[in-house]
Amino acid sequence: MEFIAFAIAMAVAFQAMKGYTLARERTLLYLNISFLLLGAGLLVDGLANLVVLLSKFHRNFIYLSRVGYTIDFLAQLVAYLILVVVYLQQTRAWSGQFAVAALPIVLLESNPFTELVLIFLLVYISAQTAINYNVSKTRNSLLVFGAFTSLALAHVFFLLFTVMPIFFPFAHISQLFGFLLLLGMLFRVNQAQ
Amino acid sequence: MPNEQAPASKPAAKYRSQFRIFVDIMRVIQREGNEAKPTRILYGANLSHDRLVKYLEELKVLGVIQESGSDEKIYGLTQKGVEFLNNFRKVEAFAGAFGFKI
Repeated sequence: MEFIAFAIAMAVAFQAMKGYTLARERTLLYLNISFLLLGAGLLVDGLANLVVLLSKFHRNFIYLSRVGYTIDFLAQLVAYLILVVVYLQQTRAWSGQFAVAALPIVLLESNPFTELVLIFLLVYISAQTAINYNVSKTRNSLLVFGAFTSLALAHVFFLLFTVMPIFFPFAHISQLFGFLLLLGMLFRVNQAQ
Repeated sequence: MPNEQAPASKPAAKYRSQFRIFVDIMRVIQREGNEAKPTRILYGANLSHDRLVKYLEELKVLGVIQESGSDEKIYGLTQKGVEFLNNFRKVEAFAGAFGFKI
């Protein structure tokens, strides 16, 4: 599932890069960096889990899963922070204080609080995309809103997974669904004449 | 009693990048059926005459528009210009999906 999500994240990053090359609009460059980071995190986490799986959970390889998760978490944290900053800049509410406030978060180790941090960021991004949908009323903006809401929900499930293992598949399905919605948006954008 | 009413503030002028002006000019040409007179472009893209002449010259150099007509100049999009506008429309839709204006 992570590899499919990785491919979709790269496709979104590629589209953003194409847009930046054409329009030289900085927000598209930030979008490109954000999805490159998301893709890289998913790839590392996916590969780490694959190695652990192929080694049949050999104790010498178990630590790789934790390394993968940590890298994926940090990549997601930076990626979503970039998006939050871009949205804050658009609403002209940005100030350097946010960067200072975000600094201690980056230093956290992986634990349920890391999921809470990602949920917090994703809820903010979802709210911004909801506002955008409310204004534009386009299907593409609805798909992006749905995607980020689904990603936020995935992290709620990841958080619940720390206390109840039953939520693990729901988290992955929700994450994949979020990226599939982004893929749907990409298809619609590229098919439009 | 002093008048405490705040003076009516002027609406902030929206900055248009050169890139955005190029796109606006090309869109006017396309809207006019790919045969646009300078006066139509001038009003459609909201430009002064001097700036319009300058930008049309730059767009010709870029190879996205072409000039025709002897008495009165007529501007049309080249194949490169049509492709550029199609690509721009996709980029605009992509950025708009995230709520970003370009």
